[in-house]
Amino acid sequence: MLRLIGRRLLLMVPTLILASMLIFALAEVLPGDVARSILGPYATQEQVDLLNQRLGADRPVYERYVDWAGGFVTGDWGDSLLFDEAVLPLVMRSLGNSLLLAGFALVLIVPTSIAVGVFAGLRRDSLLDRGITVSTLSMTVIPEFVSGVVLLYVFAVWLKWLPVTALPPSGSPFVSRFYYLILPAIPLMLLELGYIARMARVGTVQVLAMPYIRTAVLKGLPRRRVIFGHMLRNAMVPTVTVIGTQIGWLIGGLVVVEVLFAYPGIGNIMVQAAKNKDLPLLEASVLMVAILYMVSNLIADIVVALLNPRIRMGG
Amino acid sequence: MDVRSPDLREPDPEAVETLADGEVGHQEPELEADAAAAAEQRRQRRFLFTALLRSPTFMTGLVIVLFWVFMGLFSTAFTQSPTSIDAMATLQEPSAEHWFGTDDLGRDVLARTMAGARTVLYIAPLATVLALLWGSIVGLVSGFYRGITDEIIMRLVDVLLALPIIITSILILSLLGRGMAIIIITIGALFTPPVSRTVRSAVIGEREREYVMAARLRGERSAFVMAREILPNIKEPIIVEGTIRLGYAVFTAATLSFLGFGLAPPSPDWGLTIATQRVFLQIAPWAVLFPAAALASLVVAVNLITDGLGRVFSK
Amino acid sequence: MSMPEHPLDPAGAAPAPGNAPPALDVRDLEVSFHRRGRALRVLKGVTMTIGQGEAYGLVGESGCGKTTLAMAAMRYLATNGTIDAGSVAVEGQDVSTLSEEALRKWRGGKISMVYQDPATALSPAMRIGDQLAEVFHYHEGMGKTEALERARESLRRVAIPDPDATLKRYPFELSGGQQQRVVIAMALAVDPQLLILDEPTTGLDATVEAEILDLIEELRGRINAAILLITHNLGLVARLCERVGVLYAGRLVEEGPARDVFTDPRHPYTMGLLRCVPRFGMNKTDAALQTIPGTLPALGEPLEGCVYSARCPMAKPVCTQHEPDFFAWPSDLGARAAAEAASKPPDPAAFSPHHANPVGESDRYARCYFSPEVPEMPHMTPVLATSLEARGAEGGNVLEIDTVRRTFKDGKKKLTAVADVSLDLRKGETFGLVGESGSGKTTLAKCVTGLLAPDAGTITFEAGELRPTAARRSQDALRAIQMVFQNPDSTLNPAWSTRSILTRAVRKLGGGKAGSVRAKVDKLSADVRVEPRFLMQRPTELSGGQKQRVAIARAFAGDPTLVICDEPASALDVSVQASILNLLVELQTNEKVSYVFISHDLAVVRYISDRIGVMYLAELIEVGGAEEVFNPPHHPYTEALLSSIPKLDFDSPRRRIALHGTMPSLSDPPSGCRFHTRCHRLLGDICKEQEPPFQESTTGHRYKCHIPPDELLAAQVADRPGPHAEAVAQATDAPGTDSADPQPAAS
Repeated sequence: MLRLIGRRLLLMVPTLILASMLIFALAEVLPGDVARSILGPYATQEQVDLLNQRLGADRPVYERYVDWAGGFVTGDWGDSLLFDEAVLPLVMRSLGNSLLLAGFALVLIVPTSIAVGVFAGLRRDSLLDRGITVSTLSMTVIPEFVSGVVLLYVFAVWLKWLPVTALPPSGSPFVSRFYYLILPAIPLMLLELGYIARMARVGTVQVLAMPYIRTAVLKGLPRRRVIFGHMLRNAMVPTVTVIGTQIGWLIGGLVVVEVLFAYPGIGNIMVQAAKNKDLPLLEASVLMVAILYMVSNLIADIVVALLNPRIRMGG
Repeated sequence: MDVRSPDLREPDPEAVETLADGEVGHQEPELEADAAAAAEQRRQRRFLFTALLRSPTFMTGLVIVLFWVFMGLFSTAFTQSPTSIDAMATLQEPSAEHWFGTDDLGRDVLARTMAGARTVLYIAPLATVLALLWGSIVGLVSGFYRGITDEIIMRLVDVLLALPIIITSILILSLLGRGMAIIIITIGALFTPPVSRTVRSAVIGEREREYVMAARLRGERSAFVMAREILPNIKEPIIVEGTIRLGYAVFTAATLSFLGFGLAPPSPDWGLTIATQRVFLQIAPWAVLFPAAALASLVVAVNLITDGLGRVFSK
Repeated sequence: MSMPEHPLDPAGAAPAPGNAPPALDVRDLEVSFHRRGRALRVLKGVTMTIGQGEAYGLVGESGCGKTTLAMAAMRYLATNGTIDAGSVAVEGQDVSTLSEEALRKWRGGKISMVYQDPATALSPAMRIGDQLAEVFHYHEGMGKTEALERARESLRRVAIPDPDATLKRYPFELSGGQQQRVVIAMALAVDPQLLILDEPTTGLDATVEAEILDLIEELRGRINAAILLITHNLGLVARLCERVGVLYAGRLVEEGPARDVFTDPRHPYTMGLLRCVPRFGMNKTDAALQTIPGTLPALGEPLEGCVYSARCPMAKPVCTQHEPDFFAWPSDLGARAAAEAASKPPDPAAFSPHHANPVGESDRYARCYFSPEVPEMPHMTPVLATSLEARGAEGGNVLEIDTVRRTFKDGKKKLTAVADVSLDLRKGETFGLVGESGSGKTTLAKCVTGLLAPDAGTITFEAGELRPTAARRSQDALRAIQMVFQNPDSTLNPAWSTRSILTRAVRKLGGGKAGSVRAKVDKLSADVRVEPRFLMQRPTELSGGQKQRVAIARAFAGDPTLVICDEPASALDVSVQASILNLLVELQTNEKVSYVFISHDLAVVRYISDRIGVMYLAELIEVGGAEEVFNPPHHPYTEALLSSIPKLDFDSPRRRIALHGTMPSLSDPPSGCRFHTRCHRLLGDICKEQEPPFQESTTGHRYKCHIPPDELLAAQVADRPGPHAEAVAQATDAPGTDSADPQPAAS
């Protein structure tokens, strides 16, 4: 098991290096003249050259990459052009805010979607199953700013049940933050619910078709024992994998929700950095997101291994 | 469709398989073989079509999508101008003159909502076609040759998938500028990895089949085997993947507009409209809610088509 | 276990004498599956009884409804299945009247089941011990430690080596044979009254199958349960069951004591089934396999008159108009004669109703008007293969395989799938390659065709060395070596029509102009008897047998010199298998082609092959003429393999050689002789330490063993039971001559 985790961690390294190269390439090589793309077409050539020099963009690409990547590893992430502060604490602070929101959303999402999916799978092809599947999947494809804006209107503007903002006034106790996060979390939940529920349903349906479920029923086990003892564990394997990969999608959703609710998370920071061409901040935050995503995939793989003795022992 | 009591049993696979192969006829014992064979062929051809016509989800989705296609093409012919500004009539409630009210610049929300379909209906299908084309090629090559080619391609795909699509597209669009063509190519490129994964796994499922070995034993070139032997047999997963991607392309395009990386004002694009009008949510919700509903109806409709197609194919 | 209350059966079922209700009593059972709004009747008025402690074999080909019957007994029909009429009672208790809780106790308590594929029948993420213990927990309310103790005991009962360790294992850590032992232990945990065995050995290797059969046979003496054995393998029934029922298209067409039914069948379908399987020891030059014309009816297909009339060589008009009753044999003879004369169905009142006779007495039934004529049923296929000499197959070697080796990587492990195999193939002959799964026979075949490149060694074809992969071979080399694959469902591209499949093959392999291509395709399809109308269709619309015929035609597109047939008929029903084998024999006679015929079915290999090679654990351990390999002196593994086949004969005493242990891993083969870990004729350390030499006879028969031929012959003949031992000893004095078949066919 430990070897499995170790091997997966090692495998992450080349992926991470490639990802960082890709980010670097997209941000600094693809646009050609970095400073020109930052300053726009109306800046004078002197201004452009000056900025290029300040950014170090006049040096060879590989040198700049090594500098940047080395800086990232050693904790020197540079300064944000936009916020005029060091990137590292800024990104970490925003990341903390985002993780709070995402974690809160996941706590809502995972049990609900698994319950819904397994429930639908056990009633496979019934009207209820079709209804659940089609409606949850439809919610998944509605962009979160659409559902967010509607929810905001209904619950905050019209019914006034929930606050319009996502942050409590300063000085409020920490717990009150969750109350303010309910409204932003719901669009994220809707975004993920259908997909994870579908995987839970598919897993359930597939496992129910397996001969060992027939064995379990025909050896006279009670229904709940068949479901909880034999079915659920095996049915969760594809679901857990998907939850891992869906984290990426969730982060995408986070960007939109944070912008919509003006929440100071990493997504919001990233959008502002992109709009203002704040390259150090943009690169660092995108790379952090990539790392976050890989770690969540790793966690999913570990859970899958725990569920499946074959993988666990093979590792 | 009946609601069956929950049961752990499955439809009999023997029955299902045997019947799936060829419909059971009700012919005489000494059946008129030729007539039966011809009828069988006709039935096979018609089967998909009639099954789709009979699928309520598919038909609902199709009607809604066709509605928006029609509106996107012709709405300006019978609505008010979506861009004409009326400073005297800003943020007006829905009325006989402006059925959906007016926005902050006094523009007719009905006209803008109907015309808003146009941009997304350009971007999403074209981006999907690009993604399918590239993804199929990459997936075929990767799945067919396996080995080192596959290893390299899949590692790159992993890296691309490690970055949430919204974030990568923000990165690209913020630096390359925003224009319809760039948006289409970006979404197409970013959707290529997931498509290629689907195609690759379908190819791997097919390439070990014996008819592929038979083709190799008669000396067919790899290109022939990929294009003529394998491709026709993986049409269905590609089509289903295409409709899934279409839904997400609408989603992504709208989200990018919302975040300010899509089309520029005064385009009546839904995402852009929601982004610009949402500050007036408390005083003029109609300017936001109508485009939101329109966008939701389109993505849900595409999703219903996906669901219907997938269901028919899996029969 | 207490007997349940025995309610009076409203239908007035006659209980067996001695007051004990039958273990299973099925009456007029009608079951349908519903699909797309149509009801498809899969069981049609099935009535059968299994007495207490009796073993009943239910045979039939796929889709005839055997498993449906078992599931009806378990009250576990698929969700789209319904019981339309009739009843199923176990120990006199109607299964349909049980409450949910009673049904739960019933399943696994009164009836239990052993399944076809043990690997998927066990819960993958649960330890064996927990899976067994939960049966005791839920049926007998035991606590965890007590239940585990009972689980250990039940593993001992099925002779699992090291039960304590096995309790802690997961299913994937066990071999197929051990998994099936666990399933059997689970089924017998609570001392059921009825044990249903659904194809319990299908998919297992021959030696493992024999092991499981031994276990079942041995357990029968110790358990009370009646047995319902569901199988397509008549040999299994002959070995294990007292009575047999033959199911065709949802109808029970014949029933009676197994010995009587198999030696003197009274229904044309039973007769057809018996004739179309090659008897052990049969060879193509002795007799052609009989086939059953037509194909199995699709599931639930409505059939008028007798369900078998469409395929029956004896069918008369009355058969297609009126379905015959289940007549008692031979007492209902007179009424039938009258019926035939009048060409109308006989008066039901004239017959003894089915199961009027108590269980256990001589009860034979057949659903046929013409049972008396069945023994004279006309033979359908008079084709006889000519001998090798008559085929003009004396022109030396067509293929020479020289120390070919192929390894695969599985993670860090290296699996040697083919280890230094050398063999020659003669022009025009059929070379049979046998071995259990993992023995390397398919890998070797793929190396010959170029689908896999060998790591070492050379393959010489018609005096020229073959390039390692198909992609690098010339079009002519490809044309000359073709392959027929195992799986009819994937051998043809489902996106192409049959004609385009053949046209492409002819064009690539046969060359020629457009007009001649078309003519060649027509000739090919005529040669393999695929009717022209099927050429327009796609493979999904063809039956399994037709698909295999098209695949054979494709292989013959360029007039090949060598065709490799990898289990070409084993995925097909037996009635279809025979016609495919006959086709291959016929094509060989006409086209002068050589075959490598790979199969795990020894009787089939023996039937079709001129020479045979036996593979064990990646090595070729024996090669020789078919006669030589199948008779002593032969390799101890071959000997064990041959003894493991369940044969359809009742008179010759059997002696099963039990191999100990399980198949060693390919990544770490045993030292010395690879077979020494399981060999029953182990000499001693020499087998463990030294790789044995090939013992070669003057006729070219060779086997890889330390025991010299004369010693081996003496030992093997001495161990062979029965009156034929002497004859064998005489006949095999001169190896290679046509010896008398030591295993006489049953009929």
